[in-house]
Amino acid sequence: MIPTALRGASKPWLLLLPLALFLCTFFLVPLGQVAMMSVTEPEPGFGNYAHLAGDALYLQVFLNTFLTAFGVAVGCLLLGYPLAYLMAQSSPRVAALLMLLVTMSFWTSFLVRTYAWMVLLGNNGPLTALLGFLGWDPPPHLLFTRFSSTLAMVHILIPYMVMSLYSVMKRIDPALLRAAESLGAKPWGVFRQVYLPLSAPGMVNGATLVFMICLGFYVTPVLLGSPQEQMVAGLIGTQIEEFLDFGQASAMAMVLLASTLIVLAVYHRRFGLDRLWG
Amino acid sequence: MSKDVEKAGDECAPQGWSRRSVIKAAAGTAGALAMPAIVRTARAAEVLYVNTWGGTWEKAAAKHLFEPFTRETGVEIRTVSPVSFAKLAAQVRTGVYEFDVTTLGGGDIVRANAAKIIDAVAGSPLGANGPWKDAVFENGVASHAFSTIIAYRTDRFPKGGPQTWADFWNRQDFPGSRCLQRYCARVLPLALLADGVPQDKLYPLDTERAFRALERIKPDLRVWWTQGQQSQQLLRDGEVDMVGIWHSRALELIDQGHPVGISWKQAEIDRAYWVVSKDTPRREIAWKFIQSAVQPERLAGFCREALYGPLNPAAFEFIPKEEADRMPTGPRNYPLAFEQNVEDFGGNLQKVTQRFEQWLAS
Repeated sequence: MIPTALRGASKPWLLLLPLALFLCTFFLVPLGQVAMMSVTEPEPGFGNYAHLAGDALYLQVFLNTFLTAFGVAVGCLLLGYPLAYLMAQSSPRVAALLMLLVTMSFWTSFLVRTYAWMVLLGNNGPLTALLGFLGWDPPPHLLFTRFSSTLAMVHILIPYMVMSLYSVMKRIDPALLRAAESLGAKPWGVFRQVYLPLSAPGMVNGATLVFMICLGFYVTPVLLGSPQEQMVAGLIGTQIEEFLDFGQASAMAMVLLASTLIVLAVYHRRFGLDRLWG
Repeated sequence: MSKDVEKAGDECAPQGWSRRSVIKAAAGTAGALAMPAIVRTARAAEVLYVNTWGGTWEKAAAKHLFEPFTRETGVEIRTVSPVSFAKLAAQVRTGVYEFDVTTLGGGDIVRANAAKIIDAVAGSPLGANGPWKDAVFENGVASHAFSTIIAYRTDRFPKGGPQTWADFWNRQDFPGSRCLQRYCARVLPLALLADGVPQDKLYPLDTERAFRALERIKPDLRVWWTQGQQSQQLLRDGEVDMVGIWHSRALELIDQGHPVGISWKQAEIDRAYWVVSKDTPRREIAWKFIQSAVQPERLAGFCREALYGPLNPAAFEFIPKEEADRMPTGPRNYPLAFEQNVEDFGGNLQKVTQRFEQWLAS
């Protein structure tokens, strides 16, 4: 929607200026301050980082954060792929309806969704009752496990995966599939040898997005997971809220940021960042 | 992602008290207070920003502490919530004051004082010692208390539930799932009491022994609560059979008719103190407000409505006996309770907390 007067103007980048200013003032400058704090508080030097490297709890939580994010990305992919496939094959109306259902969870408060899972998976919840009814005695504890927290995070993040996949799948030329069929490929062969590779960029995009967003998760694993499910973001919060240890917290945040950037860099080298949003 | 985990001295909103109603209450307060037009014009500039816990806390404070103060002085009170210790520190670092007055728990007072982020009581109109004996603790003025008590499902323990922390730790006689707050400084003393350490010899804490004691019930501790509302929900929905919970939360469940029983024995008291943010431009009004907020009658009104125990003993003159019996500092319950010693904790709290988290994660 570029106004006619600006179209072909010699300095189109001027349009970026408001956003650039906004990001600079409210994002880059504070981020720079956090980076400064990590090497100046309580005293100048890299003491905070050295401390982190030798901190068993931090390393454990850091590793857990990555494993969790990876697991959630895989879960989103497994559940999101069939859905996105269905959407890509459906009529535009049905696809729009499905998209609405997927994005609806975006409009529900985050805490409400978390508590909804508590009700569904609880000791007196419908799922436990169903398992009991089917003869699982005593019914398993579903809540406060890795299962429950992963499930809830998959639920929260799956829209990103579905949108990434859908935008790629929509662009797959059906003629290619027909060509494969006419050359004698069976349906499974068409899917495996033609469709799946063509949709791979969507899988990578979605998984990368989900993985990176999940790295910063905090409330869901604490409320729905077992005590073992602590994530780095929570640890950072504790350092500030309870100990006023801004330096240590900043160092943790910088390490988390750096690892996210590394994931992005790897992605960029392999696939190109401009494709991340499909 | 909102970080919604409540920390020390958290007295956060019970369910049903939304942000909107908080705003409404605050607006209502401000409106009512600004009513006498003359006062408003004369003192239009005078505003005090109070950091509150929102919810019932704020509603009770507005009615019993804020409104009378405004009627008296014309100073309008605006509220900021939730209470954040980190924000208090950030204010002094940046010189940007979002609030002038807040409440802190005992442990926070020690840390805030060490970090020099709260104003000295000595130079205030309250004087160095405050209005009653033990009113002042390291630049905080004692206001009210809550306690961590044992609550259990009466349907799971029809013959009587756990009464002491030793019972809570007794997996043979009281089988079932347990839950405690994920808050090391409050949990370790309970573990030591359960392990047989006498109430008056708790501090400095023998952390080794506390962790050994915790290990005994670890299999039954499937979940640790971090938010007041969560602790209530876990017990109400029967996710856990017994829980170490704040007394107000347990009383609310009982009042709502849920099958919940409590014990006041070995209740663990947490004190809340009023403090003034260091170097705030509204320092003088801030102290005046605190002076007014701990007056016996006002404090009594606040505590009755928000289910706290007043720390000004004179406040009990304005509290009926049956209500005093629902307060951790009341004449019946206080002798059963114990106070935390925040000055002689028994180790570096940060290190111990680190260990606690590590123990949880293993």
